[in-house]
Amino acid sequence: MPFAAIIIKICRAYTHSQEDFEDYYQEVCLQIWRSKDNFREQCNWSTWVYRISLNVCLTLLKKKKNNGKTYFTSDVLPDVLTIENRAFEDEHLNQLYVAIRLLSEVDRALILLYLEEKSYQEMADILDTNANNIAVRVSRIKERLKKILHGKIN
Amino acid sequence: MEKSIEAIWKEGFLNEKSLGAPKINDLYNQKSKHLVDKVQRMFRINLLIIIISAFFFPIVYYFLDALWEGLAASVLLLLTAWYNKRQMNSVKTLDQGTTSLDYLRSLDRWLKDVLLRSEKILRFSYPLYFLIAMSTIWSAWNKEGLTMKIHQKLPNLLFVGNTPLFALIIGGVTTLLVFYFSDKICQWEVRLMYGRVFDKLEATIAEMEKLKQEV
Repeated sequence: MPFAAIIIKICRAYTHSQEDFEDYYQEVCLQIWRSKDNFREQCNWSTWVYRISLNVCLTLLKKKKNNGKTYFTSDVLPDVLTIENRAFEDEHLNQLYVAIRLLSEVDRALILLYLEEKSYQEMADILDTNANNIAVRVSRIKERLKKILHGKIN
Repeated sequence: MEKSIEAIWKEGFLNEKSLGAPKINDLYNQKSKHLVDKVQRMFRINLLIIIISAFFFPIVYYFLDALWEGLAASVLLLLTAWYNKRQMNSVKTLDQGTTSLDYLRSLDRWLKDVLLRSEKILRFSYPLYFLIAMSTIWSAWNKEGLTMKIHQKLPNLLFVGNTPLFALIIGGVTTLLVFYFSDKICQWEVRLMYGRVFDKLEATIAEMEKLKQEV
């Protein structure tokens, strides 16, 4: 599957368990496959994949919230990472993901796109928003992530 | 020294190919299960409605002073419920195949088969329901002295028992029409109740077949 890495990165940020991750991953793949004929070359493939992946994840999350399945979040990282939070080999990356999951849904999308080195305009296109306030928002999210991660990564 | 989040990200994803992506062979398993559960749930709800109606009808008909008609409708409904329950049990014997596509195909075949058999049975039960309804209406009118009034107003009218011949002819022709169009009524009723889920089943099978060809 081309762009699998993009999908994995996004789905991991929106799920708390391996089971959910696999469901979200499959749903995103399915949605991409279903809408591949509608792809217009106004944007590149990766932008399109980001957009679909984020849309699907946000929709599934909303459905889950409506079903009453929500996760308790706080601004404190757990002392010990559970097996489910050890999705990647890199421990620092696992910690970063746990911190990202503490952010709001939209902030998660913004920081993921920022870390993927998307330009503010591309981020605005993907999230269908205005590019003007993205820089300020990203810097606030980074500050918050640093605070969450502070003391955990040396 | 603390690592920046950008560095953590970059270093963590140095080798993107090693990322463990779930296999997508199972892409539709979850969907198929959901769909099959939905079909079975709808069948169960339908069965429950039939059983409740079977107990409800005699009570309502009792107050309409047509207990026998109510009991006849109730027996007919209970027989329908019994038949539907048998059909529901037979879904367990479906060939689950090796893939969810096989299972969905056999579910689709099973549904078509069940509907075909139901159409044959409903060919007789729809006219019976109609006759019960007509009999109820006629007995209610009778109790209000309608037959007497017709007798007085139209003394030359032919009667069979207590019923005017023209009413019997109209009732008979309508019953024959209900019998003739029962398959259409059945299809319309099924479409109304299960249309969306059946469409979804067909669309899922078509998608899975297409996916199978392309992957």
